[in-house]
Amino acid sequence: MSWWKSLFPKRASDAQMNSELRFHIDELTDENIAAGMPPDEARRRAILEFGGHEQVKEELRDVYRIRVLDATVANLKSAFRFIRKSPTFSATVMLTLALAIGANSAVFSAIDAILLKPLPFPDADQLMRVDQYNPKTSSPFHMVAPVRLEDWNRLNSTFQALTGYYTEDVSESTSALPEKVTRAWVSPRFFQVWGVEPAPGREFMPEEETLNGPPAVLISDRFWRRRFNADPNIIGKSLRLDGHLTPIVGVMPPSFLFPNRDTDLWCPIPGGISYGPPRENNWFIVIGRLKPGVIISQARANLATVQAQLGREFPKTDAQLSVGIEPLKEITIADSRRSLWLLFGSVTLLLLIACTNIVALLLSRSAQRQHEISVRFSLGAPRGALIAQLLTETFLLAFIGSGLGLFLAAAASDIFRSLAAQLPRVEEIHLDARIVLYSLACSVVVTLLCGLVPAIRGTRRSLSASLAQSSRSQVSGRNPLQRLLVGIQVALAVTLLAGAGLLLRSFQQLGRVNPGFDAAHILTFQLSMNYGETGDLKKLRQFTDRILETLRATPGVEAAAISVGVPGQPLKYQTEIKLTEGRAESEPKLMADNRLVSASYFATMRIPLLAGELCRETDGPPTVVVNRAFADAYFHGAPVIGHHVQSLNLGYSGPAEIVGVASDVREIGLDQPPAPTVYWCAPLAEPGTYFLVRTRNPPMTMAETIRKQIRDIEPQRSLYDFAPLEQHFSDALAENRLRTILLTFFAATALSLACIGLYGTLSYNVNIRRREVGLRIALGALRGQIVKQFLWQGLAVCILGCLAGWIVAAASTRVLSGLLYGVSPSDVPTLSAVILLALIVAATASLVPAIRASRVDPMQVLRDE
Amino acid sequence: MPIEKSDLLQGTLDMLILKIVALGPVHGYGISLRIRQISKEVLQVQQGSLYPALHRLEKRGWLEADWGESEKGRQAKFYKLSAKGRKQLVSEESNWNRLAGAVANIMETAQ
Repeated sequence: MSWWKSLFPKRASDAQMNSELRFHIDELTDENIAAGMPPDEARRRAILEFGGHEQVKEELRDVYRIRVLDATVANLKSAFRFIRKSPTFSATVMLTLALAIGANSAVFSAIDAILLKPLPFPDADQLMRVDQYNPKTSSPFHMVAPVRLEDWNRLNSTFQALTGYYTEDVSESTSALPEKVTRAWVSPRFFQVWGVEPAPGREFMPEEETLNGPPAVLISDRFWRRRFNADPNIIGKSLRLDGHLTPIVGVMPPSFLFPNRDTDLWCPIPGGISYGPPRENNWFIVIGRLKPGVIISQARANLATVQAQLGREFPKTDAQLSVGIEPLKEITIADSRRSLWLLFGSVTLLLLIACTNIVALLLSRSAQRQHEISVRFSLGAPRGALIAQLLTETFLLAFIGSGLGLFLAAAASDIFRSLAAQLPRVEEIHLDARIVLYSLACSVVVTLLCGLVPAIRGTRRSLSASLAQSSRSQVSGRNPLQRLLVGIQVALAVTLLAGAGLLLRSFQQLGRVNPGFDAAHILTFQLSMNYGETGDLKKLRQFTDRILETLRATPGVEAAAISVGVPGQPLKYQTEIKLTEGRAESEPKLMADNRLVSASYFATMRIPLLAGELCRETDGPPTVVVNRAFADAYFHGAPVIGHHVQSLNLGYSGPAEIVGVASDVREIGLDQPPAPTVYWCAPLAEPGTYFLVRTRNPPMTMAETIRKQIRDIEPQRSLYDFAPLEQHFSDALAENRLRTILLTFFAATALSLACIGLYGTLSYNVNIRRREVGLRIALGALRGQIVKQFLWQGLAVCILGCLAGWIVAAASTRVLSGLLYGVSPSDVPTLSAVILLALIVAATASLVPAIRASRVDPMQVLRDE
Repeated sequence: MPIEKSDLLQGTLDMLILKIVALGPVHGYGISLRIRQISKEVLQVQQGSLYPALHRLEKRGWLEADWGESEKGRQAKFYKLSAKGRKQLVSEESNWNRLAGAVANIMETAQ
């Protein structure tokens, strides 16, 4: 391994050169003196004979000078020549790399935009989500009472400011048809926390943030373009929101997509406002901006102290609460992290396979170029220069490949958006300098990975041997390195295939899950409402009943119900339940999911009642239905019906009697087993409530009829979100589907690459051994034997590769656990199927060259010889 | 008539240097002297090609160099053959012999 020495040669110093040359001249002078010349004349003649001293020195310097620039330019020129000379080979390598580097850069661009870059706000790492926790419940709803938010903001010392908001959908009725828009009510300090200003327009005035102050609304850039065609004179125009004329005071910049990308409007809400008992009415989501230099643990400690102080002041409502602080970015990207890293891992494996493939290609290439290389050696080219030249060729291919791959990366945003619209921050994915740099880095890594081994092997000094004997008489023996490479490709492809197979199986299992209710022929939609309406329960009930009655009276509708949250969708509202009858201290606490539904829900969803009767929607004492899991978990077969339950956090009701037990259904997600659940029967719609309609015909065909019927009785409201229930399931699986589709695609690509690698290596082998095979056939070998021999050669490598792939897959099951449903990461049928598939494909890829080998014409070969 | 630099086959000078250095550590002047003497004044190496060749061979690791005192007490750079150089010499020598044999063979047979 001394080739690298030639890259970093020792240099002779100028003084050393001088004294070496001077010695020579001195000796020549002595020689001349000995021949009888006078010393002066002797020296003159010696210098003359020696030739130009400076010229020799310059030539010596040349020996040591590495002409980096000249060499690079020359190498690039020869690399271009090389590409022109072998277009098929070059195109194969470039396209393989374009695909592999492109896919890698595309996934990296998503990772960069979603996971690595800060949120698109100034000093975004200071933004924190602040939640209120009640340790007694495990509900993911951590809304905060507006009064408490004001207390936190006043008493803390670690935040610049804290603000809160909530969103609801409203009807905008300036034009003929009411349009549903999404409005965020924001408490004071909202824009101070974000550090974003409207343009054109202004922020809210303090008087607009007071109770009964002048109305004002800020609109989103999207809404501005959609509704007003980006009218520059927008300020001062008005929107009619739920019947109230509201002047537009500004437009937010396009990058401001908060709370989510659907938000159209922001309206001010006075600080500390409340529609009920002020310290129990929790409905704000709280965001805070840390002071510069404050770290999250300090903020946590600080707010814990503040909350403890509030607990002493208001023991009844605040003593049990604790405060949770998480970086807003973490909350935003939440679950995408694992999927994205999984995808990145698989595209990186894909890139490795592509590299291995290219190494194999380059190796067979350099075998063909042996002659050229030995000629250059004999002309005195140092090995380092040859290696540099070969690496330049590989780099040029990788560079062009990664350039082509950037087109793929540029489309990444569209690809991700179309496969998983719910992916957070997906609109932030785009091609920028970072991605270009990343691609460039990829091509450098690829050059070293792919180019180094073939370059070092290809320039081994077998000069005399190679010059002397042409490759004609060569009988190739085994080529262990190429087989190893093919084996590695198969192993990596099998690893990817195993992952894709498991995800596919899991996806298939999810599709087969019986949710416990009948999801076919259910149409869902929402109606614009606001929380103000939830104050008058009586009126709310009349409203809800009237809508449901109208729906039921519509021809083609079998049943109608409401539910807060779509059945089968991740929405957990878990609280602690108290039994009025009491319960032994030793018993575990009663924790249950709460579902707010109308009594017609069970009939509409076709959920069978196992015992007792339906809950009553009368004005009498409230009643509830529990599910079987609730009865089994907390009553162990003892009668449930007749007990009275009370939820600690639910505003609605006092003790309610359990009157029925319903069968278990997967309310909170198809992949979640049924949890103990209490159904609170309240025919009370609120913002976010879904209307569920069972239709006779395909659900969407009813949408227009229903829209018309409702408009007749509620002309001021907009109806939206019409979708078959099954569509919601499919949406909920979007991220799951994204990773399944992409991983399957990567695995298929990996398998094809491995297949090409196998085919290429075997074909090459067959080519080299044509003479040998021809001779053997001439000597009477059966063609079947020849086929068998080459086929076995391919399969043997493949079987070893599969085995290695299985081991790698088995070792990396941890990566997938938690992403799978209904299939274990070491599922034997899936892994066997994957290996079978790999073997079949490998056999096909080997069969073609094997058959070609058996068709060698012995006469032809002997004539060539 | 002495053969000038241009007449010397490319690569042949390297072989000659290696061969002479193989006899023992020697300085540049000594090498030019030996080539002249052994070839009976037929080959005369220009210093302009000798020294670059020496440095190139040293850079390739076929020669090793050390500073020492010449027989007349002057500071001189002495070259000696490295293990790699010895291998190189063997291979070049056999190449040369084959080539020379082949050429001689043709010259004789074709007469």
